[in-house]
Amino acid sequence: MTSQGMRRVPLALAITLGCGAVLATLPWVLSDFLLALALSCLMYAALAVSWAMFCGPTHYLSLATSAFFGLGAYVTAWGLESMPYGLVVLGGGLVGAAFAALIGLAVLHLRGAYFAVITFGLTELTLHSITYVEKTTFETAGRIISDAPETPVIYWTVLGVTLLAVATAILVRASRLGFALSGIGGDEERAQTLGVNTRRVKVIAFALSAFFPGALGAAMAVRWTYIEPLSVFNPFIGFQTVLIAMVGGAHTLLGPIVSSVFFSLFTEFLRLRFPYAFLTVLGLLLVVLVLYLPGGLASLFVRRARTHD
Amino acid sequence: MTEPLLSARGVTVRFGGLVAVNGVDLDVDPGELVGIIGPNGAGKTTFFHSLSGVLKPTEGRLVVAGDDLTGRAPHVYAAHGVARTFQTPRVFRDMGAGDNVRFALEFAGRLRRHKHDAFDDVETILGFLGLAEVAAVPAGALTPARQRLLEIGVALGARPRVLLLDEVAAGLTQTELDATAQLIRRVRDELGVAVIWIEHAVRVLMNTVERVAVLHQGAKIADGDPRVVAKLPAVIEAYLGDEAAAVSVAA
Repeated sequence: MTSQGMRRVPLALAITLGCGAVLATLPWVLSDFLLALALSCLMYAALAVSWAMFCGPTHYLSLATSAFFGLGAYVTAWGLESMPYGLVVLGGGLVGAAFAALIGLAVLHLRGAYFAVITFGLTELTLHSITYVEKTTFETAGRIISDAPETPVIYWTVLGVTLLAVATAILVRASRLGFALSGIGGDEERAQTLGVNTRRVKVIAFALSAFFPGALGAAMAVRWTYIEPLSVFNPFIGFQTVLIAMVGGAHTLLGPIVSSVFFSLFTEFLRLRFPYAFLTVLGLLLVVLVLYLPGGLASLFVRRARTHD
Repeated sequence: MTEPLLSARGVTVRFGGLVAVNGVDLDVDPGELVGIIGPNGAGKTTFFHSLSGVLKPTEGRLVVAGDDLTGRAPHVYAAHGVARTFQTPRVFRDMGAGDNVRFALEFAGRLRRHKHDAFDDVETILGFLGLAEVAAVPAGALTPARQRLLEIGVALGARPRVLLLDEVAAGLTQTELDATAQLIRRVRDELGVAVIWIEHAVRVLMNTVERVAVLHQGAKIADGDPRVVAKLPAVIEAYLGDEAAAVSVAA
């Protein structure tokens, strides 16, 4: 939005592409276990970055990530037999975006806790609607995914979606859309009196940010051989995304990325080392961070940078 | 006869049983400098809320530059060239002062250019208000007086045809007050922008504007030349025990 910010866009995009090229070599380097871990890092990085794309500047708290993710997964469950994997992933993204636009029109005028609660409720509603449709129309409780692509193919696809999410976040931050979003976060009514059609801006940005969880749901669904609504509409995915983005600093670009890597590795470490205590430790960590570092880990660096000015 | 730039017809705002604004008519011509005064609770700010689309009037019609905007959203008013300030500055606190002005230029201001080149970029607007050196400072960190000035700067960034100023001089010293009045005149003279100005400092306002409307208990009780209006019995009575002294001084 500032002229300086504009000049940094090509550099940021080049760095993203460079990192992507390096990360693309990992399937030849890493063991299966480590590749699965890298896949989880990438997935959460993309989820957190796309969540922060809308919720960071506007200070909305959306818990609908699981809904978009689950819908994406069901696009795969329904479409993988008739469509190639890449097309299914694209379809998952589009379905996620369309669903977000629809619920955005209905509930984006709500704020704060109301918005959080209703997005959570909508996730539950989506879960049960899918369950109902599956049971009544197709007479099935879950679906078996056959013809799943190889792990490296999944990895490269998820990497592609992640890079696209980061690039989109960079462009949104530098664009009028991003500028309007920070105005909405600062004072929505003031932004309106300054000529911003805030309703339209919010719906567009919310839909754009929902493309990525939709695409990721579709891409990751093939990792499970058996898909049922309860596992793909898992609210934990939504909570974890919010957590990662907030801990990293939702108003920054790098914060959510760094924190997703940290979180994925840390949860994996805890899960292996302390299989029974790991959720407790995770919870305590969250409490400490929210109490003592509400701006996220990124605020440490921002604060330091300011004092250096 | 030219068509008025902004025309309010029978604007009424009710909150439950309370009538905050009661059938107010007001026409403002391009480039006119109009003041609105009235005792506390007269409905001045509520009237401004309707003029800028922030509040939909219960009854009445609002026409801006020939378009009926009754019931439309605030951004439509902004697009028609209605810019406003708020009594309590509503600047974007986390954004720099310069970015605050840039925001207005980027959205509402994108649609129009002024006849003059003045006030067409962030630097000129901030310079005009004496805020050039704080361009990079987050607006929330500015002093209240500077936030008020920035609030005017943001409104100017919208490149308005009519500027609604809601108590921009509240809490200022006499010197600052005079400077603000001068600034408002310059905005009108140099940009040809119509200004509607609400202020509690009645004397300065009466000496600055060409026309003043008086609101009392939501209704308009006078409208005209300040020197004439100040002598009207109804106006003096409305202010009795409140600000009668100020009005008689202004006369």
